[in-house]
Amino acid sequence: MCNKVLVADIQRASIHDGPGMRTTVFFKGCPLNCAWCHNPECISFEQEILCYPEKCIGCNKCDEGCFSGAKVICGKEMTVNELMDEILLDKAYYKKTGGVTFSGGEPLCHKDFLKTMIEKCKAHNINTAIESSLIYFDEEIFNSINNIMVDLKLFDNELHKKYTGVSNKIILENFKKLDALNKPYVVRTPIIKGVTDLESIKAFIKTLKNVKEHETLKYHPLGIEKAKALGKIQERFE
Amino acid sequence: MTYEERLAALRETKVRHTLEKRKQNGYTDLDDFGTVPITKDYEMEPLYTSSNGSFYGNSGMAENFKRLIDAHPAYVDPMEMLCGRWRDMLVNYRGDVHYMPDWLKSRPKIMALMNSANEQWSKRWDEQNFPYDDLKPLQKLYNIQTGIDGDAHFACDYRIGFALGFGGFLDKIEKGRKINPDKKDFYDAEETCVKAIIRFIDRHIEKIEELLKTENRPEIKENLKKMLQTCKNVRLGAPKTFQEVCQWTAFFNCASRMYTRDGAGFQLDTLLLPYYENDIKNGILDDETAKFLIANLLLIDPHYYQISGVDEFDRDMTNHLSYLILEAADSINIACNLTVRVHQNCDKEFLNKAVYYLLKNKNGWPRFCNDKTLCEGYMKNSVEKKIARERIAVGCNWMCVPGKEFPMNDTIKINIAKVMTVALDEMKNDKEKSLDKLYSIYKKHLAKAIDVTAQGVNLHLDHQAEVTPELIMNLMMENTLEKGEDISRCASLYTVGVDGAGLAVVADSFAAIEQRIATEKLVTWEQLYAALENNFEDKRLQAIMSSTPKYCSGGSVADKWAKELTNSWTTLVKAQKMPKNRCLVPGWFSWARTIEYGKAVPATPNGRKAGEPISHGANPNPHFRNDGAPTAQSNGIASVQCGYGNTAPLQIEFDPQLACDKKGVETVLNLILTHFEQGGTLININVLDKEKLLEANENPDLYPDLVVRVTGFTAYFASLSPQFRQLVVERFLTGI
Repeated sequence: MCNKVLVADIQRASIHDGPGMRTTVFFKGCPLNCAWCHNPECISFEQEILCYPEKCIGCNKCDEGCFSGAKVICGKEMTVNELMDEILLDKAYYKKTGGVTFSGGEPLCHKDFLKTMIEKCKAHNINTAIESSLIYFDEEIFNSINNIMVDLKLFDNELHKKYTGVSNKIILENFKKLDALNKPYVVRTPIIKGVTDLESIKAFIKTLKNVKEHETLKYHPLGIEKAKALGKIQERFE
Repeated sequence: MTYEERLAALRETKVRHTLEKRKQNGYTDLDDFGTVPITKDYEMEPLYTSSNGSFYGNSGMAENFKRLIDAHPAYVDPMEMLCGRWRDMLVNYRGDVHYMPDWLKSRPKIMALMNSANEQWSKRWDEQNFPYDDLKPLQKLYNIQTGIDGDAHFACDYRIGFALGFGGFLDKIEKGRKINPDKKDFYDAEETCVKAIIRFIDRHIEKIEELLKTENRPEIKENLKKMLQTCKNVRLGAPKTFQEVCQWTAFFNCASRMYTRDGAGFQLDTLLLPYYENDIKNGILDDETAKFLIANLLLIDPHYYQISGVDEFDRDMTNHLSYLILEAADSINIACNLTVRVHQNCDKEFLNKAVYYLLKNKNGWPRFCNDKTLCEGYMKNSVEKKIARERIAVGCNWMCVPGKEFPMNDTIKINIAKVMTVALDEMKNDKEKSLDKLYSIYKKHLAKAIDVTAQGVNLHLDHQAEVTPELIMNLMMENTLEKGEDISRCASLYTVGVDGAGLAVVADSFAAIEQRIATEKLVTWEQLYAALENNFEDKRLQAIMSSTPKYCSGGSVADKWAKELTNSWTTLVKAQKMPKNRCLVPGWFSWARTIEYGKAVPATPNGRKAGEPISHGANPNPHFRNDGAPTAQSNGIASVQCGYGNTAPLQIEFDPQLACDKKGVETVLNLILTHFEQGGTLININVLDKEKLLEANENPDLYPDLVVRVTGFTAYFASLSPQFRQLVVERFLTGI
């Protein structure tokens, strides 16, 4: 059993990551590398440093630790219990529909940890949700989690390889496996002008039986500044 | 014209007035008040009855109120169904530096008065006869807003006025004279004031008659005729119809505002209900007209009104009028101070509707208060449930029992950030320094601050009747006209509110010391003292001290300290012995004085520089969490409630990007109800459009109708000073 995981961020009071009021946990690590990713700090599986030179106070003591926010370590190692403590902070607000959403990065990169978290949440009567690219599939996880949100970014395989770095062949296969569980799920597609092949995506979704809702997500360039902080360049889309 | 068209015209007039008032007044970090601009020929000549350039006591206050209200021209807008507005207030003429508008500063006599006023202690208090020089050193040391010169901040029982009318007040005064012949001064003053109010009404009658002579539009003529008859009926008589009770309220509110800025309203939906039901039964009122009248009343003055809630038997008081009031406020959609009282027995649909309007209009109304914690808390002051249940939301952060209580709420503040710096100073030269020692010294000084505050409160209560008798509000309080006494002398309840200010600064400071000095040993005491002395010249040290997890971040050391500080604050305030039947009631609130209080506080261990604003009320410092989660803020503030019926409000602003649909309403309602479940008392909530707010901050004139709930009061964003606007923006930005 995996006891620890690198968490990039925890966002409380999320209302756009599933039903109700939620705490969203962003795990580090993702096999994809989407060109428009708005959480580029979640792609690497390692701890990284985000640099914000405008916050530098010029103390020249970087090696003694940065306290100004000019260099921020992204990726905190957390145990199941530590993460659970964070999730429990807002338990009173979850009520019937809210809860925790496991996101990232790709949460299914941390299957064992995730399974333990789901069990713990159940024990505390906390609703669970997952946001996944479906690059991986785990029947046990998908059966035990309450709300499923999966991305279908591009249907065309060549486009998918170009803009995410991986083929979507296995993703589309995993969609079918998910659909076969006969459990409702939400499909999400970011709309990138000039790139997203929405009609093809819609046509594919029509072949699935259990899609509860297909959400199209507006592009937002949040990832550009974060990529810059990581020393990378992210293309601006529309 | 339809009511909708008329309201649109009135909203435009309101916007025009707002901009004109800003030119006349300058920036005012205050309530909107509902005033209208000063006219060119307006002139009020005060009579100074004291050699220090002010006026006091029954005769001084009555004469000057008479002069002020006599100088006020009538205000009649044929688009409205009610008439009356106010423009100026007595406090302007007593050298109060906080309220002096620019137009008044250009009056030479007033300038001379203002220049001789002490910055903190204005000439509202008669220091020549009731000095308190012995208290001043400690009051200054701890930066205490003493309440000694405070006025209003209690609530009338409007049922008294509705039953009597202005003529009935005169009768009651006469009756009182006979019973208490030794109180001639008092009754003379009361009579002077009531007659001045009647003359104010008479000027409106004359104005309407004048307008009628030249009005040819049949609909407007009819409206003016009805307005005229209403004014004639309420001139002396008790109001009988819905329009009459609204008009009566408007006139009284104008008068009490002019006198001491009183903004305390009443339980709007229950007190007006009999008039509404009667008129409906008699076929002289319909819902659309009722809504227009309520909207008109709200336009005349944004008094603090409460709606919904439960009675002494826990029965829901929400009624049809409660809904009409919300709809009326929506139809006019201006600065508005409606508070919805929340209780588990109350109509859920009504609560949903209230939240819906909050999301729809994004103008900071309504706000919400928690019956359970307020009622149960107040009962801990040895007050029975029936009375505790009557205590309603009638001010920025405060509650009051109408007619009975004299709480001085929101007039007394102790700046605990300053107290902390005094403690730090005392420990500075000690060889052995420790966190425990610092906290112990802090509590010692806090006790002193509370004690000197209590002495000030007692001075105020003992002599306020001779300084600023509340001649207008006395008319609707119990025991006053009956005994010939000012309410400060004959109230049934003296549960005096003392608020602490600067909680987050202190909590974050103690936490920073615990983490960086005591636990991590990253910083020494000597280094900290040097940094405080040189105002954090060492930016790295400042960054180290300011980067520890803050109060409201969730499970942090600072959260622990906030609770501990609340515990010591509450314990010490409640332990303070008071004479007679007086007691102190703790709360957390800074009103709109975070900038002013901050100027008195040197650098603090949380990395705050000398003179920077202190934290707002019970709120965390800005940037308390990266995600600025409102749930985190809600949890934190719920945990620092003092528990005796006064509030530590959750002041929250966010742009949840939610539509005012079912999901949106459920989300915001969830936040409100969960905060209350966890012990919260009052929520002042701004649902704002981020882009609009930022644009308005750059150029306020782009959005002259943008209203924000600043602390508990609402103000037009365009009328706030740039510095204050920035504070609101910073509070907001951390919430998204």
